[in-house]
Amino acid sequence: MDETLQELENELANLRPRQVSRALPARIEAALAEGAGRTPSLRSTTAGAPVRRRHSAWFGWLAAAATLAVALTAVWWQTRPAPAAPLAPQVRNTAPVPPAPEATVAAGHYRPVGAASVLYDLRDEGDVVLDGGAPARRVRYRYVDTYTWKNPATNASLKWSVPREEVRVLPAVLH
Amino acid sequence: MEATHESASWKAWFAAHGPKLLLCARQWTRSLADAEDVVQEAFVRYWRHQRGLPGDPQALLLTSVRRAALDLARRRDRREAREDLADGGLGDRDAFFEKLPGEGDERRLEIESALRRLPPEQREVLVLKIWQEFTFEQIGAALEISPNTASSRYRYALAALRNQLEPLCHG
Repeated sequence: MDETLQELENELANLRPRQVSRALPARIEAALAEGAGRTPSLRSTTAGAPVRRRHSAWFGWLAAAATLAVALTAVWWQTRPAPAAPLAPQVRNTAPVPPAPEATVAAGHYRPVGAASVLYDLRDEGDVVLDGGAPARRVRYRYVDTYTWKNPATNASLKWSVPREEVRVLPAVLH
Repeated sequence: MEATHESASWKAWFAAHGPKLLLCARQWTRSLADAEDVVQEAFVRYWRHQRGLPGDPQALLLTSVRRAALDLARRRDRREAREDLADGGLGDRDAFFEKLPGEGDERRLEIESALRRLPPEQREVLVLKIWQEFTFEQIGAALEISPNTASSRYRYALAALRNQLEPLCHG
């Protein structure tokens, strides 16, 4: 860089940026205090803590969703139709699920709107003998259960899919 | 007690670096008021959520300031955006720098005027290099350009300033 540019650089560096207005630090202080009032733990924030806090929120939310999934599974289990032996994967239930008020509160503004169960594997594991000596057959079913929540306000939706395995022991009828 | 210490901590930091941040924010906003809004938003966000992150705090803050300024610009309507463009992104004529005593202040005004006539992409690099004291690597990261591009723009900016200010230097 030639000498004139070097001199110009020095001259520019000697100019001091103007001070912020007196109101700005006060505004920042108010904004920080407001935030601290909403979330007091921020006062004692240490390195990495905000990230942990976000993760905690996620885990809490996921825990609520898992609770809801278990509740829906239990309801579905009690009300499901008698099992038939399907030969191919099929959607067993896509009926809308009425929103559960307590679950809605737990999961924020999301409401359950549907549940579906897809049978993707069916295996006959052969004959077994029950405690009383009666013959039976053991059949293993494998499903993927999918639950859908929707936020009516934002139209955002969430799907939760969980694998499920079911073993049924069917009494054998001898003719 | 902790809150008091924390308050003193950010105030000391802001007193040292606030003016430089404001000068940078001015390069991306139309007015001093907008620049202060942007600095406030970025600083509060940084202090609440980002100060535990690794890296240079000034670089983090500068990126935050720039994003806030871009967000602000996007919120404006097209007419205002065209005015911004025609005006080089600086609608008002508030001073960039502290006043200098005596005749030195005339020189400051000349420099400010020449700075405002620079293309915005050159001016932002110059400001980050001279007053924010960033390296070309840091400037490249902040502006999402290569360090070589930053270096070129810096040299063009200095040369353009020299051409505008030369009569005053040597006349």
